[in-house]
Amino acid sequence: MTFLRGKKQRVRFVRRAVAGHDRPNNQQIEQPELCSQGRSDTLDEIFESLFPFVLPGKTASMIPDLFTTLPPIRDLLHTGSSQVQDETIQECLPFLSGLKLDIECNEHGIPHLDRKKHITFLHHSLRNLPAPFVAADASRPWFFYWALSGLVAMGEDVSQYRERLISTLAPIQNSGGGFGGGNGQMSHLAPTYAVILSLIIVGGAEALDIIDRKAMWKWLGALKQPDGGFQMCVGGEEDIRGAYIAAVIITLLNLPLQLSKESLFWSREATLLTNLPEWISRCQTYEGGVSSRPDAEAHGAYAFCALACLSILDDPHIIIPEYLDVPCLISWLSARQYAPEGGFSGRTNKLVDGCYSHWVGGCWPLIEACLDGPSISSGDHLSAPLTSVGHLYSREGLIRYILCCCQEQSKRGGLRDKPSHNSDSYHTCYVLAGLSSAQHKWHFNTSATKTESSGMLTAAYQWTSDPILEYSQIFDEEDRVNTWHPIFAIPEGASERARSHFESKGGF
Amino acid sequence: MGKYEGDPVWDDVVPIPQDDGEGALAAIAYTDEYAEAMGYLRAVMAAKEYSPRVLDLTEHIISMNAAHYTVWLYRASTLLALNSSIPVELEWVNNVALDNQKNYQIWHHRQILIDHLYDSMSSDPAALKSLAESEVAFMTEMFNEDSKNYHVWSYRQWVVRKLDLFDKGEIECIETLLRQDVRNNSAWSHRFFVVFSNPKYCTPGSKATEYDPKIPGEILDREIEFAKAATFEAPQNQSPWNYLRGVLKKGGRKLSSLECFAGEFVKIPEVGEEDIKSSHALDFLADVWAQKGENEKADKALTLLGDKYDRIRKNYWDWRRTSLK
Ligand SMILES: [Zn+2]
Repeated sequence: MTFLRGKKQRVRFVRRAVAGHDRPNNQQIEQPELCSQGRSDTLDEIFESLFPFVLPGKTASMIPDLFTTLPPIRDLLHTGSSQVQDETIQECLPFLSGLKLDIECNEHGIPHLDRKKHITFLHHSLRNLPAPFVAADASRPWFFYWALSGLVAMGEDVSQYRERLISTLAPIQNSGGGFGGGNGQMSHLAPTYAVILSLIIVGGAEALDIIDRKAMWKWLGALKQPDGGFQMCVGGEEDIRGAYIAAVIITLLNLPLQLSKESLFWSREATLLTNLPEWISRCQTYEGGVSSRPDAEAHGAYAFCALACLSILDDPHIIIPEYLDVPCLISWLSARQYAPEGGFSGRTNKLVDGCYSHWVGGCWPLIEACLDGPSISSGDHLSAPLTSVGHLYSREGLIRYILCCCQEQSKRGGLRDKPSHNSDSYHTCYVLAGLSSAQHKWHFNTSATKTESSGMLTAAYQWTSDPILEYSQIFDEEDRVNTWHPIFAIPEGASERARSHFESKGGF
Repeated sequence: MGKYEGDPVWDDVVPIPQDDGEGALAAIAYTDEYAEAMGYLRAVMAAKEYSPRVLDLTEHIISMNAAHYTVWLYRASTLLALNSSIPVELEWVNNVALDNQKNYQIWHHRQILIDHLYDSMSSDPAALKSLAESEVAFMTEMFNEDSKNYHVWSYRQWVVRKLDLFDKGEIECIETLLRQDVRNNSAWSHRFFVVFSNPKYCTPGSKATEYDPKIPGEILDREIEFAKAATFEAPQNQSPWNYLRGVLKKGGRKLSSLECFAGEFVKIPEVGEEDIKSSHALDFLADVWAQKGENEKADKALTLLGDKYDRIRKNYWDWRRTSLK
């Protein structure tokens, strides 16, 4: 078995004492009294009908009972929320318990990543789309990003798409800056984000240089709001996606921070970043999570936007605690993981969904770097922080949910929200991103002698990763996927290359 | 012949075909109807035309693809330029929204409309009142389909601020939804916003996670009692537990003020089996005990959570244990 896939990475064994936290002992838990009364009849029936078929020893020794049994405490009261939650457990349990006879599993009850099928699925998503996809007419650039990043994560070479990507994207750029969802559509931050990341993934000067950086900078100035946030498009909604995407664009394209004269809020002091972290801070809710804009409900996708945006603006251990209540955030984030499913939900009392493997799962490396502080590099080697919090969530749970429940079983391939849903390229991308994040440890590094880079906003380029290797690894080594940058969610290394390309240009 | 090509109303317009680039990736096989309409839209946008026929055209495109932000924004500009009837537009948007539950754009469009309407009736309290009523009625209809729809709730928060609906009526609406499903966290979250952002007594700009000395004690008491009652209905429902923590923080009250209450769900005898009816109560007590310096009890609670009642979060509970020392 080889631990190294293709590139040079430091091999580091996680001490069992830490990694073992994911592995509860297999003792059967006694049901507290209230809960045994509270079990829902339907679930119990399903449960009992399932388990007589289990070979004794199979689930007992190989799959921790945490992932095959109902939660130890369940309330008597039935409501709409508990109903759909029970149904979700019902649909996941057979997959988690290795009871699907047509699915081949390893000794831990986990199937392989069906790489070949998922690769085909993503290649197909870039071919011509049938008429019902008209609903995606304003979000088509996302298809490029989801497919290309997913393909690279699974080891595919996507340079074959470079030319066609360039000729597809050129007509959707607007002379006033930014990209629309299609030709003739207004510029909007969401497709612009997908376009920029796609171009960076295929790489090369001819791809990167189609972006009109000066027009982009002026357009961002027009989107900037006096309260610190960004509108998604001129006259459009202001939300935390805008804050994250604007920061991504500014740093990756190495844009100047001052506001363009076109901005309604131009002043000598104001910059594109003025009041941006303060605005993000206003999106943290009483639950500890983060909402799309102030006053709304905490939601996993927006927590990622907040943490990633802050981690672009400065070192995570400095800026995250400055603007967010970290213990409260961690408590909420941790509560997103459910058992027996193992996956993450996006909000309190909502269901697990594969895409939160990234939106919630992707928050953990940023939070862990925030708690650990930086690794100090002196010369060639890095020294890890003196103490590390390790992993604050169950990597095993997430990996089980992804590999057991999120893989489309039919010939179609691709990954999905949950077993009752069809695969799509959105879920394929973000489920794989979550898998990668659960398989690798990220370090935020500062050099002992801080050399100022020529540009601004350099914090995002100080991340390195190691594969997590354990004696008790539950997935097979061939199912490890490539690493994604913890902030940009594109293959590791691509953002650094793009950034230095634009840095080398100096001005516009 | 296409719908527009053969229509004398559109005689003067030369449609602009879509430039897809060479060998476009993920090109969508549009129906002829959609492709033609989009060609005319590109043409009117290029000519900056804001006319009644643009309203017809955008309505037609939205009926084929409601997730088209450009069409919505251009329609809004046209409506405002033509001084069109906003109530008529709202009526139409209601139907589109009901047919497109997950749509983002509709809610922003609605926000533009209400903003505009508000300016024209800001000195007419009766008109504002009836506008508020019709907005609430429509959202209630949306919640019948999905009571946790994020876009509708975000819009609702905006409406509450815009039309100053921080009143009893709003709280009663939330209570109706919570009676249907006490686990509806969106409703809890909205309640927190309505109660703790009310400009009548809150410090302006006070963040959700910080203490606001201006919140009256009787409001804190009322909210605590409300959440406690909900907790008794379903102790393992995390929503009211999060709510209680939020209220205590807003009010600057100690967690230990609810130690007895949380203790109702947690019995840990000196000897013998413990009786835990809510892992969230155990979590709450762990914090209470840690704050009081009773680290041994806190450690025991966190250990129980990690080993027995909430094992999927064991790493988290263990991390909390390390911070006790
Ligand atoms: Zn999803």
